[in-house]
Amino acid sequence: MSIALRGISKQFGEFAAVKDIDLDVPTGALIALLGPSGCGKTTLLRIIAGLEMPDQGRVLFDGRDATSWPIRDRKVGFVFQHYALFRHMSVFENVAFGLKVKPRRERPDGAQLRRKVDSLLELVQLGWAGDRYPAQLSGGQRQRIALARALAVDPDVLLLDEPFGALDSQVRHELRRWLRRLHDELHFTSIFVTHDQQEAIELADTIMVLNRGRIEQCGIPGDVYDLPTSAFVHRFLGQVNELPVRRRDGRAYVGPIEISPVADSIAGDADDIALIRPHEIEIGPESEGWPAIVTAVRVIGPIVRVELCAEGQPTNEPLEAEISRERYEGERFSVGQKVGLRLRRWQVYPASRTAA
Amino acid sequence: MAAAEARGAPRRRRVGRTVLIAAALLFLGLFLLMPLLVVFIQALSRGVGTYLAAIFDPMAWAAVKLTLEVAAIAVPLNLLFGVAAAWAIAKFDFRGKSALVTLIDLPFAVSPVIAGLIFILLFGAHGWFGGVLRAHHIRVVFAVPGIVLATLFVTFPFIARELIPVMQAQGRDDEETALSLGASGWQTFWRVTLPNIRWGLMYGVLLCNARAMGEFGAVSVVSGHVRGLTNTMPLHVEILYNEYNYTAAFAVASLLALLALLTLAGKSFLEWRQPELRHAALAARDRTRRENT
Repeated sequence: MSIALRGISKQFGEFAAVKDIDLDVPTGALIALLGPSGCGKTTLLRIIAGLEMPDQGRVLFDGRDATSWPIRDRKVGFVFQHYALFRHMSVFENVAFGLKVKPRRERPDGAQLRRKVDSLLELVQLGWAGDRYPAQLSGGQRQRIALARALAVDPDVLLLDEPFGALDSQVRHELRRWLRRLHDELHFTSIFVTHDQQEAIELADTIMVLNRGRIEQCGIPGDVYDLPTSAFVHRFLGQVNELPVRRRDGRAYVGPIEISPVADSIAGDADDIALIRPHEIEIGPESEGWPAIVTAVRVIGPIVRVELCAEGQPTNEPLEAEISRERYEGERFSVGQKVGLRLRRWQVYPASRTAA
Repeated sequence: MAAAEARGAPRRRRVGRTVLIAAALLFLGLFLLMPLLVVFIQALSRGVGTYLAAIFDPMAWAAVKLTLEVAAIAVPLNLLFGVAAAWAIAKFDFRGKSALVTLIDLPFAVSPVIAGLIFILLFGAHGWFGGVLRAHHIRVVFAVPGIVLATLFVTFPFIARELIPVMQAQGRDDEETALSLGASGWQTFWRVTLPNIRWGLMYGVLLCNARAMGEFGAVSVVSGHVRGLTNTMPLHVEILYNEYNYTAAFAVASLLALLALLTLAGKSFLEWRQPELRHAALAARDRTRRENT
């Protein structure tokens, strides 16, 4: 089922949670709503589910206006961050719940119901857990049960509210891959909310970055990461170095490095700012580029993070560069060493807009 | 010097603790245990025969029956109201929510005698609705309906007050999940909400029942003290006492005291049962974790 939002707004008292949101989710897509807490991503998800009524705008399911449909008619599976398993029911009863509350003529009989629930438990690799109670399971197991329960009623849409937020990183990583496989096998439309940019990049086909109730950018993960359209998105997806841009005789510089030409659309004053990701800084011999001193080196698995104090930069804001482990094995930068920096890529934003 | 102080400190703490515990026990003994004992000793002071005769006296028996009847009407009604109010307050946002919470607490704040007077002013012979009621030959005040109303008013907050924090702590996720799975509001309530609150609910019912049976002030104002007709147990105790019939008064009082003890036992059972469930669940989870790793 495809989902479309048209001009959705929602206020909570004085606080505008989402403002005039348009969104199109094609059938079978896996979309991430990404943003910091309070950006309105959960509100948007709850509006799609029917748990919240928008003040303005329409929700379309397959082109039909579903804005006023009650949640039970929407055929959405909703998964909460804290699982919301029914604690007084066994795992089997939890998964069977959606089938047992169907009207009598649609309700599967005993054997059918058992087969369906058992196959769902197999699907989430918890076939052995049917007789257990939620309190007897680990967090990752509980979240898989919550998913099986949501899938039991054959939803057209799966909505997940920070589904892995309460789990430790190892389990989270496994569950992400598992959910991706499940999505590819079952072809439902999924929308999930997260504040974790890595989770969004790993799992989603499309990322929608939200900030203060508005869409900042929407696109495939690679584009959102490499071609951010605003300083907010640039900062939110991954690490950045922020350096002031200086202008002299119609040319723009970061430190001594010329970065002209800078697009005309950006106001030509001293307040522009350049954002550079750590892997876009090149470390070379002292004689070339922007002189700097290595202040710290940290090996993190396959990459090495080097902190640098560049000439003319305040020392309490070191630059961060990332180089590959192989490169590091060859050159062995050490603390105190003098080096020269070059920039491979950068993006310039006007400072007034970066304040957001 | 400093070292001596440091050594002295734990001992001083121990002494302090002993004094506190002793004071608490003394207080409990003086104000709770002794009166309770006095009730039973006085009741049985002229032998078991007199005690039983006092209890099975027709007037006493009528009082017991009336008390049970009133509780049997008031407690289920307040159960309905309490669950509905707690459900509304904990699971929905609406205008006037805080006003409703304050209103629920009102019977706690108002003296029971005032509560009784309110009903006299409303339904008494010269009250607002007195004329209408007389025209239809309906007696409220100085009759059973008045006693039920007064008891309802006084025990109004018990169940709602018990349930609101329980329901608020549990949040709305369970209910929202049930709805998203296609359950109706009614199915959600019976299958998800009610099982989640059952222990808190029983606790509230227990306290509500104890108060309904023991209420004196409000009931005293509206009852009219008609022996055998509008006397509840607490009122009957007072009448017997005023007639210098101490043994009979204490015999009936001992029934109320027994009720209090039963309530206490039930309350302890529920309190013991709830953490017990939690501990069992935790232990079981630890076991599964060990098996999995």
